[in-house]
Amino acid sequence: MRVTNLIPGIQYGIQQSEQSLAVALQQLTTSKRVNQLSDDPSASASMVRSLAASANVDQYTANVSYMIPKMQTADSALSSVVTSLNQAITLGTGGANGTLNNGQRQAVAAQVQGILNSVIAQANISFQGVYVFGGSMSTSPPFVDASIAIHSAQGTAASPLSMSTVLTPGSTTTVYDAVTGGSMIYKAAVGDTLATLAAAVASGVTAGTLSPGTSAAIDSAGKFAIGPNTGATGLAATSNDPVLGAMSAVPGTIVPDVYIYTGNSAVSTVQVGDSMSVNTNLPGDQVFTSGANVIGSLQSLIKTLQAGSQTQIGAAALALTTALNYVGLQRVPLGSSVAQLNSQETYLAQESLSLITQQTALVGVDIAHAATNLSQAEVIHSAVLAAAAKILPQNLLDYLR
Amino acid sequence: MSLNASLSIAVQSLLANNGALQATNNNIANANTPGYTRQVVVMQAAAATSENGLSLGSGVVLQGFDSVRSELLQMQIQQQTQAQSGASASLGTLQQIQPVFTTSTQDIGTQMSALFAKLTSLSTDPASASTRQTVLIAGQNLAAAFNSSSNSLAAIQAGLNSQVIQDVSQINQLTGQIAALNPQIAVLKAGGQDGGALQDQQDQLVLSLSKLTSVTVTHTENGDTLATGNGTPLVLGAQSFTLQSTTGSNGMIHVLDQGGQDITPTLTGGDIGGTVQTRDQMIPGLLNQLDTLASQFGNAINAAQAAGFDQKGAVGQNFFNVPSTVAGAAAALSMALSNSTAIAASSDGTAGSNGNLANLIAVQSSPLPSGKTPTEVYASIVFQVGSLTSHAEAESSATTVSLLQLSNQRNSVSGVSIDEESANLIRYQQAYQAAARVISVINTLFNVTMSMGTNGAA
Repeated sequence: MRVTNLIPGIQYGIQQSEQSLAVALQQLTTSKRVNQLSDDPSASASMVRSLAASANVDQYTANVSYMIPKMQTADSALSSVVTSLNQAITLGTGGANGTLNNGQRQAVAAQVQGILNSVIAQANISFQGVYVFGGSMSTSPPFVDASIAIHSAQGTAASPLSMSTVLTPGSTTTVYDAVTGGSMIYKAAVGDTLATLAAAVASGVTAGTLSPGTSAAIDSAGKFAIGPNTGATGLAATSNDPVLGAMSAVPGTIVPDVYIYTGNSAVSTVQVGDSMSVNTNLPGDQVFTSGANVIGSLQSLIKTLQAGSQTQIGAAALALTTALNYVGLQRVPLGSSVAQLNSQETYLAQESLSLITQQTALVGVDIAHAATNLSQAEVIHSAVLAAAAKILPQNLLDYLR
Repeated sequence: MSLNASLSIAVQSLLANNGALQATNNNIANANTPGYTRQVVVMQAAAATSENGLSLGSGVVLQGFDSVRSELLQMQIQQQTQAQSGASASLGTLQQIQPVFTTSTQDIGTQMSALFAKLTSLSTDPASASTRQTVLIAGQNLAAAFNSSSNSLAAIQAGLNSQVIQDVSQINQLTGQIAALNPQIAVLKAGGQDGGALQDQQDQLVLSLSKLTSVTVTHTENGDTLATGNGTPLVLGAQSFTLQSTTGSNGMIHVLDQGGQDITPTLTGGDIGGTVQTRDQMIPGLLNQLDTLASQFGNAINAAQAAGFDQKGAVGQNFFNVPSTVAGAAAALSMALSNSTAIAASSDGTAGSNGNLANLIAVQSSPLPSGKTPTEVYASIVFQVGSLTSHAEAESSATTVSLLQLSNQRNSVSGVSIDEESANLIRYQQAYQAAARVISVINTLFNVTMSMGTNGAA
């Protein structure tokens, strides 16, 4: 074969060795074997999946980090409740002792009232603005004072609401009645006004959900008011309609020692793993008003201390003991969840590390290997250039001089 | 043999070797001329004469110059050039497409993961205004990622239109030049001569044409007849047939033959073949997958949103604005929600409920109507882009090596070797000097002969 011109071959060789050098240099400087999709399409696609998994693991870890202190807050609150109940039991047991006179029993009753307030404060505890015992109604304190009358935040004497004021469609207003134990839930439809809401209150009375005599109207302060509750235990209401604003007790109408649960029984879950979720809350009604009825037991003890017999006081103190045991049982799943979350946190840390290792294996480069490749590419490039330098200048004319 | 006859032989030798020197000179001059095929001098011993029963040679005859070319290799180089140019055109475009799907802070995969991460985060505190806002921003970022990816592909696709126009213009220019050479080469060949430099020039033009599109070359008495790969005539004798470019109903530039027939789908090979294939097949394929993903993903999120309630207790409205048709969905996908309170996290209408977030988050791990999860669909697009680019790289690289080998083979036949020509230079120079010496000797003999009488008289 005639060899006429070596230059194209030499140029191609130089280009190839320069390319190898560039690739080796890029791999070493970026610490990546795959710098563009075509370097390894399969690894690039696997990276998409792995990065998505990493993002999930990072978020699960963040969720666990959020949930552990929230659960601990709930557990801590219940721990305080246990302490309070023990104090109340001690006081109740003392109150049942026949050695106390009426004045001393009233003093004990006042102490138990303080304990009840403390328990309510724990039941209304919030974590980063979320009321942990409110069910899914977690944006406002779940236990509110019952009152004879309640009214809206919106409306003033100068700029009163009127019965023709239009409500926000889709908004919900709920009226709770401590006498009936029921609640009237009203969801505003398009075009509904305060008159429609007032009619719903009237319907609630008819249905027996609300106490007889309960009605709604615009009060002298220009606010939308619901009441009066003819019973002794009062009303409460919540609304997410900005037209009404927050519903609160009309001053001077609060019923002492009576609280209404405005939360619900919903239990929310949060995902802390691809196939693992944990409950985020304990509904307040489940802990404080259902079962052994912590709040009811305290209320009962107060009443019996104020006006009951020794036997009744003793029975109320005994009921508190049952309530104490019940709260202790409620703490069990909380502790279990915290332990579960701690365990999951460890697992997620390992999973995150495992994914990072996987990603390094997919697109990363072994530094020692990359350095060797670069060194090898340098040697080859030098050899190619040296060979070119040796060959290119040579021709027959050099020897014919 | 007379001195005159000897002198005539020496003169013929001088002329023949002078011609050979000229051929060598021309070869050296064109050593680096693209497409040049080396010329060799054709010498033949002159017919012998018979004198007194003796047969004597009568010198050398310079018959002409032949270009040393291999039509088979030339044809293989043309074919390989078409393949190489087509692969390079596809590779160039795919290398522009790759960054669109490369993992970054802005790509669809990352933004999709971010949206689900924010939704998962919202489940810890569904009433949090700030976390709701981050979900809204993540949704906007994802829609923007779909828009950006689709727009980038569309921009690359539109950019290829100007390449098609440019290629068509160059094809017309080259076919005109090739057709103009045909009659001149035909005249030379009719006279029994080699096409020489004109043929080299035409071959080089055909090679340039091969870089643009696939052509078939048929050698005829009237010169080369050229047609595209599908048979559309480009050159017939002295006539060239121009191609036209026109904007089609889809906004793409189409190529028409001289009769006005659309030949775009049949164009293969060369820059225009690679460009059209990438523009009309690869990019639309990717756009279609992107549109399908955007449409199905958007609808899945909207369906999950509709299953829950927003912060005001109303049934969840659409999260994304998803076009009614799949085509163009990725480019037009946008956020339907403008207020973070409208995110339907709640399953019971209460502000603190996160029940419906499970439905929204489940979109990530649930198969879309296509049968794959959103992440899987995106990963498959990423794989496809990487694979297409990798394939184009391999093809471009392989055809480059093949072309280099074919060029080396062609050069071994037709290329100029400076060393060889240097040796020839000496060879012909020596022959020329020897012939000149013969003339000098004959001249001396003439002088001796002429002076024979004079010396006797003296």
